[in-house]
Amino acid sequence: MNLMKHLKVAGTLLALGAGMLAASQASAQTITDIIKRGSVKIGVLIGAPPYGSVDSQGNAIGYDADVIALIGKYLGVKVEMVQLTPPARIPALEANKVDFLVATLAPTPERAKAVMFSIPYSAFQTGIYAKKSVAIKSWDDLKGKKVGVNRGSSVEREFTSREKELNLTILRFEDDATTMQALFSGQVEAIAGPDAQANAAMKARGETETELKFVFGMQPNSMTMRKDAYELRQWLNNFIYYVKQNGELNTISEKWVGGPLPALPTF
Amino acid sequence: MILNGVMLTIALSFVAIALGLVLATLMSALRSLAGSWAGYIVDAYVELMRNTPFLVQLFMIFFGLPQIGIRMNGLEASMLAMTLNLAAYATEIIRAGVDSIHKSQIEAGLALAMSRRQVFQYVVLQPAFARVWPALSSQFVLMMLASSICSFVSVQELSGTAAIIEQDTFRSFETYIIVTVIYLVLALSLKLFLNWLGRRIFPQVSGLARVTEAHGEAA
Repeated sequence: MNLMKHLKVAGTLLALGAGMLAASQASAQTITDIIKRGSVKIGVLIGAPPYGSVDSQGNAIGYDADVIALIGKYLGVKVEMVQLTPPARIPALEANKVDFLVATLAPTPERAKAVMFSIPYSAFQTGIYAKKSVAIKSWDDLKGKKVGVNRGSSVEREFTSREKELNLTILRFEDDATTMQALFSGQVEAIAGPDAQANAAMKARGETETELKFVFGMQPNSMTMRKDAYELRQWLNNFIYYVKQNGELNTISEKWVGGPLPALPTF
Repeated sequence: MILNGVMLTIALSFVAIALGLVLATLMSALRSLAGSWAGYIVDAYVELMRNTPFLVQLFMIFFGLPQIGIRMNGLEASMLAMTLNLAAYATEIIRAGVDSIHKSQIEAGLALAMSRRQVFQYVVLQPAFARVWPALSSQFVLMMLASSICSFVSVQELSGTAAIIEQDTFRSFETYIIVTVIYLVLALSLKLFLNWLGRRIFPQVSGLARVTEAHGEAA
């Protein structure tokens, strides 16, 4: 009897799931739609200062938030920021929770199968960080070590591709801040991450024991929209080009990263 | 990959349930048999664990303790946090069972020249367990589901595995609907197993339940 009841409950839940699948069809969206609506919902990254974090009132602040404010200025509509963690960024976009993302996403070919990217609007250097007492100069020095990385970040692949060869133990954390914390508390021996976030974390903590060991790449970041939003992408590309030319983006870079805007590639 | 995650979820839950139950029984015994200060310590512990989020407890153990020189890996920290958390909740549930034992029963036990320890074991603890077994079972299921939080400290249990698959394929809906079904199957199986176990260990439970039903109370 009890078993029958369980099966009935399970059956009902499955039916509900199937219904949700049918309802989760996205529709194409245009700049005109957004302007007509008079408001735009933009996904922003949190937990990755200086690009995205929250202030004491819980508002999103950082490089991305300032870029979003600029978008609102040029679009002339009300901006609503939706705060997201790294793993939730693309799912939130696909589930129509946001119109597009300004959330420090690297435009990789794998991701481009699922979403569409604008030309890059920011870039940071990615490097290996560890305690000063540990001698690390190259990938080979990481042999057999416990390393931490932000799950769902583009640098995760740097570790997973070398996992077997270097016999790495990879610990994956929810965001850049937690990954840095794992390094500070000695839960991992080294981490791979973006310089801006690492610098911000070390500064906030007054950490003097940790340092950058070597740089292995530059990560440009793009705005991200759903795969069919060509018109929106065109407008955003146009916007990025414009604020690159007039120096507004450089001002944001100086304010948050502490350096001029690097030469951003385009595609 | 998913199978590994499922095994880890089951293992984490099993360890937490087994150790948590032992710990809870010990704390219940302390509250009933030892001096009042021991009772206060147990009460304080139970309140501390029941009034702070599990995530905070886990972070405290994984990120906080290394600052004072106690370092454990993600799996150890998860097992410890789950055990300590479950022990507190189970202690509170067992307390309700112990409080439900009528004083006359205890007096009867003492009158039969049983020692205090024997009275606690046979007259108080076993019937108390029998009464609160359903409540304990549901707490065990809750803990099993809460083990998903352990992915935050890099433990690749079912939810952690799901997150990796989801970011490799970008198919959130498909990934999580499968994971939802797996959790559902795990939870229902655990519940059925615990019901069966309860009937095995406490044969009188079914009788007790029937009697209370006959009196129009919830079993």
